[in-house]
Amino acid sequence: MRPWPPVATLTPLTRIGRSMSSTSTTSTTPTQRDTAKSRSALTFRQKLSNFDYKVSPFLYIAPFFILFALIGIFPIVYTLNVSLYDWHLLKGQGDFVGLANYQSVLSDPFFWNAFGNTVSIFLLSALPQLVFATVIAALLDQTLRGKTFWRMSILLPYIVAPVAVAVIFAQIFNQYTGPVAGLLDLFGLDPIRWAFDVLPSHIAIASMVNWRWTGYNALILLAAMQAIPRDVYESAALDGANKIRRFWSITIPMIRPTLIFVVITATIGGLQIFTEPKLFDGRTNGGGSRQFQTIVLYLYELAFPRRDFGRAAATAWILFIIIILAGLINYAITRAIRTNDVKPVKVSKQRPYVTTTYNGGRK
Amino acid sequence: MNSRRATTATIAGAAIFAMALTGCSASGGGSDDGKITLSVTTFGTMGVDANYEKYMEENPNIVIEATNLEGGGAARDDAYAKIAAGTGLSDVVAIEEGWLSTIQEVSGSFVDLRDYGIEDVKSDWLDWKYEQGTDADGRVIGAGLDIGPQGICYRGDLFETAGLPSERSEVAEYFGGEDASWDRFFEVGNEYVEASGKAFYHSPRFFWNSFVNQQAEGYYKADGETLNIEGNSALKNQLAMIVDAETAGLGAGLPGWDVGPQAKAGDFATYMCPSWMLGIVQGYYDEGTTDSGWDFADVLPGGAANWGGAFLGVAESSEHKEEAAALALWLAAPEQQAAAFEVAGPFPSTVEGQALVADSTNAFFNNAPVGEIFSARSEGVIAQVKGPEDSNIQDNVFGPVFDRIGQGEITDGDTAWDEAMELLNQMVG
Repeated sequence: MRPWPPVATLTPLTRIGRSMSSTSTTSTTPTQRDTAKSRSALTFRQKLSNFDYKVSPFLYIAPFFILFALIGIFPIVYTLNVSLYDWHLLKGQGDFVGLANYQSVLSDPFFWNAFGNTVSIFLLSALPQLVFATVIAALLDQTLRGKTFWRMSILLPYIVAPVAVAVIFAQIFNQYTGPVAGLLDLFGLDPIRWAFDVLPSHIAIASMVNWRWTGYNALILLAAMQAIPRDVYESAALDGANKIRRFWSITIPMIRPTLIFVVITATIGGLQIFTEPKLFDGRTNGGGSRQFQTIVLYLYELAFPRRDFGRAAATAWILFIIIILAGLINYAITRAIRTNDVKPVKVSKQRPYVTTTYNGGRK
Repeated sequence: MNSRRATTATIAGAAIFAMALTGCSASGGGSDDGKITLSVTTFGTMGVDANYEKYMEENPNIVIEATNLEGGGAARDDAYAKIAAGTGLSDVVAIEEGWLSTIQEVSGSFVDLRDYGIEDVKSDWLDWKYEQGTDADGRVIGAGLDIGPQGICYRGDLFETAGLPSERSEVAEYFGGEDASWDRFFEVGNEYVEASGKAFYHSPRFFWNSFVNQQAEGYYKADGETLNIEGNSALKNQLAMIVDAETAGLGAGLPGWDVGPQAKAGDFATYMCPSWMLGIVQGYYDEGTTDSGWDFADVLPGGAANWGGAFLGVAESSEHKEEAAALALWLAAPEQQAAAFEVAGPFPSTVEGQALVADSTNAFFNNAPVGEIFSARSEGVIAQVKGPEDSNIQDNVFGPVFDRIGQGEITDGDTAWDEAMELLNQMVG
């Protein structure tokens, strides 16, 4: 055992990670020396063992990366290639047109309509979904009778295939014969044109997304909540914090990394939404007048009915960039929240300034 | 740690992974126990299932794997995607008239049926149908299946309640008989609406399609390349007439398809019925229904016209072209066309097939002599030349406009026309 590096004893808890890594750096030196000394004396078996030690981890992770290269990276690069050509779906590759496809997509009002619809459906689904998932998770985190039953129940919608969800919801929200229409009629309200008006159609589609994903996210958040040490709650309770206070001051801050994960996956999924709007009115690509045509549906329409593969590929890349941007925005927001955490530090930095003026006032 | 075990495990793991990768390619349509599997993709209600059974009985070495897609649009996208991918097309593929010309742009994806003896039976088909299946180079890529002569489906019971004639020959006469015009059709519609307080039809879309198909030149000029829409006063006038009819309450404001509940409730009383539509209307009701009130009249405002119809093509990528072509030609032969007509209503495109169904009646449509009516309705039909964007224009240019008209968002003809032109320029401009 080597002595604990002095620096670690000085650092607070948060520094532990860094000090650990410095420990391991120093520890490699003796090992390297040993290997150098005995290199000539290595038997075949030792060499094999060495090889195994160094190479096999890469082999273990290789399947993922090979598959990722095949079905992830290759299509992305190939799409980029397609997007630079005048490319007809059936007739194939045409002339090189540079960025003309991007230009025509970005100047197409239908693209911006799809962009707006996507953002609108995303907001209508992501926000309520997160709120409900967090609340449900918090409820399930309490001591309940039949815990497993409740937990499995909320996951149930997730098991149902999105196509089935879309078909069922399309019937529920049928403007003429759906149960929602029946309810509205019962209360003497005007029928809502679910598949014709923009906002109602977005709400209907968002409700499919919410129905399917709220439980899933709740379970992930629940797992994060379960990982919070119970004694933190106990001390807070002893200090007189009530349940709601504990939820806001302990639960939410401590599940933040998981919340961020959920937000990011919801963003990526939300921007790529396709099945639900496609099947909400299967005979169109997002409504007769594109009331709920999302970016991916716009892409689909370009690629298949309109057979313009080049522009569809350009749209795919634009969507890719939008998703990266959304990810970066998420990241920036996260960082901003984190810096808010360190408020005490900020206050201590400002204090001298405040003190001086105060003193100055006195003098 | 035992290093040898670890090494062995590594090698084993790599081997399993390699097997998993190669394993994917092991499957593929093949002939086990000497049988040949042929895949067939159709759409809508083509009434071919019973024919498959019969073919498999007569040809024990053939197994047919059938896929039926819900609508022509789905079938179109499916075929496009598979042609683009260069793989995945069924051995036999049903192609709709509306997108046949697009397929003919890449006609090499389908075999030339002349190599499989279609010329020997060429005289079976109506000339124009055979002509449609032939591409610019003279390759025959589609064997004609059905054609779409049109009559008017109507609710005899509702007509009677509204004080209109309800017997089918009287109804045909009331609409104007041989001289039936669209003006008269909407006039009758107005009478019905006034008397019953209900809508006359579910959606104006089908009547529009019918009208477009009646023109000597439709969305395209006869060359199949030049658009024929902007400045086309016949289309513009018809659109204005439809807008007026909608404003007067003739339309029920329903979507084009899937209106079973409303049909049963009697929310509308007429339906534009090309032959293949009979199966769709019938499909709104339980099997064996005979008291629905629907009947079928031998009349079409504006004169005879064809709307739609399918072809069977054999994919060039098929592993069993010979057998697939034999199946396609068999399915398109007069007897099978007649059998399909009896089941679902698509009217035969062969002269003999039409003769076979001449005495056919349809119990669902009040025992209407459908064979006789369609035969009369297909007299004088001239096939219209379709262009590559034909089905696109129908769905994405005029479709949305009719939705907006149906929902009361557009109330004058000029606005409707302008909106359509704007969409047209967006789509194909």
